[in-house]
Amino acid sequence: MSEVSAGREVEAAEVASLLEKIQEGDREAFMTIIKLYQQKVFVMAYSILRDREDALDAVQETFLRLYQKAGLYRPGNSFQGWLLQMAKNISIDSYRKHQRKRRDWETTKPLDEIPVAAEPARDGDSASSDLRAAFARSVDTLAERQKLVFIMRHYNELQFNEISQTLKISIGTAKSLHFKAVQNLRKRLAPVLGIEP
Amino acid sequence: MDEHLEKHLESRAEAEAIERLLRETESVRSEIRQAAASVNWDALPTVIADRALVAGDKAARQAPDSRSWPWLAAFRMKPVLAGLAAGLVVGAAAMYLALRTPGVRDGRDNAYYASGEFLDRAELEMARRNTVDYLEKSQYVLLDVFESAGEGPVVPASVRSERARDLLQKKQYLNGQLERFQMAKAKAICDQIEMLFRELAQIDDELPAAELGRIRGYVEERQLFLKINLVKKELQSGV
Repeated sequence: MSEVSAGREVEAAEVASLLEKIQEGDREAFMTIIKLYQQKVFVMAYSILRDREDALDAVQETFLRLYQKAGLYRPGNSFQGWLLQMAKNISIDSYRKHQRKRRDWETTKPLDEIPVAAEPARDGDSASSDLRAAFARSVDTLAERQKLVFIMRHYNELQFNEISQTLKISIGTAKSLHFKAVQNLRKRLAPVLGIEP
Repeated sequence: MDEHLEKHLESRAEAEAIERLLRETESVRSEIRQAAASVNWDALPTVIADRALVAGDKAARQAPDSRSWPWLAAFRMKPVLAGLAAGLVVGAAAMYLALRTPGVRDGRDNAYYASGEFLDRAELEMARRNTVDYLEKSQYVLLDVFESAGEGPVVPASVRSERARDLLQKKQYLNGQLERFQMAKAKAICDQIEMLFRELAQIDDELPAAELGRIRGYVEERQLFLKINLVKKELQSGV
């Protein structure tokens, strides 16, 4: 995911100075922060929402919130952790809102009951796309904290210390949640992967 | 570690299973990479910065200035007093609304405000009605085709293609609403109908019997009438 991640690591002092300028309404400073972190925020949002447009909305919302709350950042803490935490909360809210909307506005009957004239999957792709779909579904059904740790570790490629800062949990808890997530995924995907449960 | 895995077959199998599982994360990462590659990252900061500045200006305009209204700050500090005052204001307003004589209001009273949620619901209801309307009109056009293929009265082909073109235009407008409110089932059926209308819209002359039969076969095979009725019913019942 390195090409998706921000171009460079940012010094804490530089971030603090940019945030100060943002509080004074400095547009350039705000744009610099966005350029530095927009792709990381996108990865976080997309990992949770799995929809490009929704993820872009969440990215915009995250930075708008940052603009309003730049003064709440406490120097000494990880800025990236703080920002990703905001992105995570916004994405989860958006995910729940969409889920609720779907529940409210869609009928309970699955769409499959009404066959649509969709193109059938090509034979060669079907096995791998089945596995991918099963994998995505299984990650979705993990308990929320396990899911978040798994997403941050494998999609955002964050270290456990960064995950612990973002989720405000200890490194040990992050590792334990990750272990449980992997075990649960292994259990759920055993039939698809052809391994013993 | 390698030594351990060589000796213990169970551990090796377990390690392989976990490795295989984690390989699947790569497919999701590649999906994310693909989605990220299609974003214009150079333009996004400008868009967000513009939005932030507009939102900031609006907030600044709306924020009450407590320095110029010191008594307002006092109210905030005394919830009981504030509650009492609010009760008086609301009560007076309710009395006014209940007892005022009806009459012509001036222009200012015509303005009204609605919550975002209310507007969302209203838009959803509009989307539902538009979809039901589209489906009903589509049914009529399809019935015309059916009657042309059978023995019923025939609608001129030019009229039929004109109607199909109208409905295609309507569908363009409907697409946004269907997607916005994630009416997946309705969209699926509307998309199928749209495919048929694209063909019909291009034919101003009478269709040969074989062609009519083919369209009829398509409609029957996919049970379009049944599905249209089901989706209409669901939309009308507001499920």
